[in-house]
Amino acid sequence: MSDIVQTTAVSSAEERPQPRLVKMVRFGVGEKPTAAISIATALAVATLWWLVAELDLVPHLFLPRPGEVLTQVGVLYYDGYAGASLSEHIFASLFRIVLAASIAIAAGIPLGLLMGLNRWAKGILDTPIEFYWPLPPLSYLPLMIIWLGIGETSKITLLVLAMFAPICLSAQAGVRSLPIERVNAARSLGARPLELFTDIVLPSALPEILTGVRIAVGIGWGTLVAAELIASTRGIGFMIMSAAQFLATDVVFVGIGIIAICAFAFSAAIRFIEAVLVPWKGKL
Amino acid sequence: MLKVDHASVFFAARDGRTVHALDRVSFEIPESGFVVALGASGCGKSTLLNAIAGFLPLSDGAIILDGRPVRGPGADRGVVFQKDALLPWKTVVDNVALGLKFAGVSKSERRARAHELLRLVGLDEFAKALPYELSGGMRQRVGIARALATEPDILLMDEPFGALDSLTRDQMQELLISIWYRTAKRIFFITHSIEEALFLGTQVLVMSPRPGRVVARFDLDFVRRFAATGDARSIKLSTEFASLREEIRAILHRAEDFRSAA
Repeated sequence: MSDIVQTTAVSSAEERPQPRLVKMVRFGVGEKPTAAISIATALAVATLWWLVAELDLVPHLFLPRPGEVLTQVGVLYYDGYAGASLSEHIFASLFRIVLAASIAIAAGIPLGLLMGLNRWAKGILDTPIEFYWPLPPLSYLPLMIIWLGIGETSKITLLVLAMFAPICLSAQAGVRSLPIERVNAARSLGARPLELFTDIVLPSALPEILTGVRIAVGIGWGTLVAAELIASTRGIGFMIMSAAQFLATDVVFVGIGIIAICAFAFSAAIRFIEAVLVPWKGKL
Repeated sequence: MLKVDHASVFFAARDGRTVHALDRVSFEIPESGFVVALGASGCGKSTLLNAIAGFLPLSDGAIILDGRPVRGPGADRGVVFQKDALLPWKTVVDNVALGLKFAGVSKSERRARAHELLRLVGLDEFAKALPYELSGGMRQRVGIARALATEPDILLMDEPFGALDSLTRDQMQELLISIWYRTAKRIFFITHSIEEALFLGTQVLVMSPRPGRVVARFDLDFVRRFAATGDARSIKLSTEFASLREEIRAILHRAEDFRSAA
């Protein structure tokens, strides 16, 4: 017989304090909180702005005081700018981007999925998309204006074109990343082609599609403001451009602030949609 | 009855050469038969399963299920994959009910049926969980329940326990046997574990690569013995089990030696 060594847990007489909790050392930022640092940075930048303006380190024309910008928000709100109220300017910009994004999403997702699934669709649509999408949208804005006039149609068409490509390409990538086991599983459970599309392909591609929408909205804001700078009488981009011509730096600041808030709200909304629609993203 | 009749498969390799993946394989799975295909990787066992499931057409030969030739995938053959292939956006109960949804069963009815199957695999309390919240063994049990939901004529299992730890694997084997015994389903099961093959199969097909073919068959009754007694230990420790294990090991090694000598 071999010796059996009995080990029993020995409880120490003295009560131990809370043990030191340890973790595997991570690489990169990981899950460490950064919000407090970001807020502190924002406060520091604002303080620096206030100090530089207050001490007249740069000419007042270049850098208005924070207080003046805030006052200007009130003035613009009550008096409007260039014959339109502030909310009309904001609404004009929001209308353009929301309408264009809706069209780009409505066209980009089905066409992208189709291109991922069908050889003919891919072959035919690849040619125009690969040709136009690397072009900067502003390079073909003059052409849009010649063809479609100076009104809303040319601007919205420009925005749709700029936002369509990333959505369409991401929907294609979503189909490509679909694991074959998932398709085979559904087929062996009796899925018909239409069910395969609605129940397997579309939801599988959704994370990639939402990433594409996020990129598209970013491109959309950039293109929108640039288009309004050139050809418009309404919109935040127009307001900034027009104010700059009168060297009304405080109005320029207000315009930039409004765009920043809108773009941030859009990106937060998409992150929220992602959290609701694809909570499983990256987990399986 | 599932009848595989002289099934051959040739693939085109990337360099243009022809790969003989499956060479005239024939066997039958009778009513409530549990056939296990055993072999090293590359012996054509997954190719064979894919052909039975209808994911892969045969180069030559035929596969006939209850008199109908297999032409493509269908709900009459339930497949359990090595990687679970569950839908990550659906809850466990809805994953199990997926086949019933495709069959046009009403929502309340398919939920009720799915709960029944989840009870069968011991996961009823996880019905509302999402797949990523489950362990590998639990996900595989969901996969089995899902494959059973459409009441297929046969269950095809592609190394379903290959990625599990050995303790979970033992539990899963015993669970599968109890399901097989209670539902009297035909099962075609793939593994590279000799012990697993011996313990589960009413018939074991020993396969060998290049070309993939069946080199030996054994008719066994360990699985029925286990179903009757519930004592896995005495079966796996029996001299009969051990001598068969060594015999099969020798066959697999001989095939290996033959191949490297050639």
